[in-house]
Amino acid sequence: MANARSLVKRLKSVRNIRKITRTMELIATGRFKKAMDRATEAAAYTRKLSEIVGDLGTADLKFSHPLLEGRPETKKSVLLVLTSNRGLCGGYNGSVLRNTLRHIKQLTEDGIEYTLEVSGKRGVKFLNFQQIDLARTYVNFEDKPTFAEVDELGLRYVADYIAGRIDRLDVSYTRFDSISRQEAVVESILPLSSLAGDSDTQGEGGSVDYEFQPSPQEILEELVPAAFRAKLFKCFLDAAVSEQIARMVAMKGATENADEMAGTLKQQYNRARQASITSELAEIIGGAAALE
Amino acid sequence: MADLRLVLVTPEKTLFDRPVASIRVPLFDGSAGIYPARAPLVGRLGIGELVLTGTDGVSQSYFVEGGFVQVKGEQVSVLTNGAIPVSEISRAAAAAELEQARAEKATSEEELNSLSRKLERARKLVRMATVD
Repeated sequence: MANARSLVKRLKSVRNIRKITRTMELIATGRFKKAMDRATEAAAYTRKLSEIVGDLGTADLKFSHPLLEGRPETKKSVLLVLTSNRGLCGGYNGSVLRNTLRHIKQLTEDGIEYTLEVSGKRGVKFLNFQQIDLARTYVNFEDKPTFAEVDELGLRYVADYIAGRIDRLDVSYTRFDSISRQEAVVESILPLSSLAGDSDTQGEGGSVDYEFQPSPQEILEELVPAAFRAKLFKCFLDAAVSEQIARMVAMKGATENADEMAGTLKQQYNRARQASITSELAEIIGGAAALE
Repeated sequence: MADLRLVLVTPEKTLFDRPVASIRVPLFDGSAGIYPARAPLVGRLGIGELVLTGTDGVSQSYFVEGGFVQVKGEQVSVLTNGAIPVSEISRAAAAAELEQARAEKATSEEELNSLSRKLERARKLVRMATVD
């Protein structure tokens, strides 16, 4: 009977865990939807921006801007790592950090000086444990990064890059490709490789003769930093969406495992109970038979 | 009469996407009015007030912080880093921001630039604030 009692205890705790993981799954689902909506809305800005870039293309002008020009020699770089503040999201932080370590090794081999900036408690803890120096850490980006917060970083990077204090900016984050596919990547976003994302939509239906105020060149000067900041913001949004998806999937797995485990335990308990009843009956019958 | 449609987008979301009668945008060097059938334009925005008059004649204003405006056919797109409906700017908060900007000291050229931007923003905010 002692065996059955211990099985009941385990069964209860497994069921409790299941409740928790199930709730976390639901929360992650809700947050994911919100994060996804934000990401979709943010995409409108990037799309418009690339439209204007396309418009500028119709004016004869060379796309030259300090942010677009790579340096002949990369000496100093900044690596921005985007991880989550909370755990229980499967391999989300693990893959970002693994990529980061690989990238750091590569940088060291190439003899490039780097400063690390990390967002998210998970990343900070891990890299501290690896005894890697962190220049700056941020824990204020939760699942809803605001543009104002990200822009603070963006403006600083732009100023640093133009002043020549950094030659490259890499971001290690989880890129969101689709709901079923996210990938941890290290991307160089400074110097800007292309303007306003990769989808350069040229104005459809022939070119429009625009009036530029002030000049196309001056608009470009404003446009390039704006494109960079939008890109940086997109990295943060992608990371936030991917985190919620990773957590959702991890918690779904945990719930399923708990279900399975609860089933096995219940079966074991029933067997143990049946066995104890049978043995009791056998004892009684045996005792009665001895009396006759 | 030709139509006019205003799309106001910030990096975070699309704030406004409706047909309007007319728009006034703060260009970098002053206000510019846009009526239907305006010639195509791409312009840089400054900090200031964006006023739109709806098709029903009711006007609405937003405080916008830089960005771009694109007029293409009947569509006017305004891209800005931040836009706040004027009805949501409180006098006290705006005054506090100005106070804070005034208290700051700039020691390098970069800081001076960012400080003067902050001051300009705060001054405009104070001027446009309507609610207490």
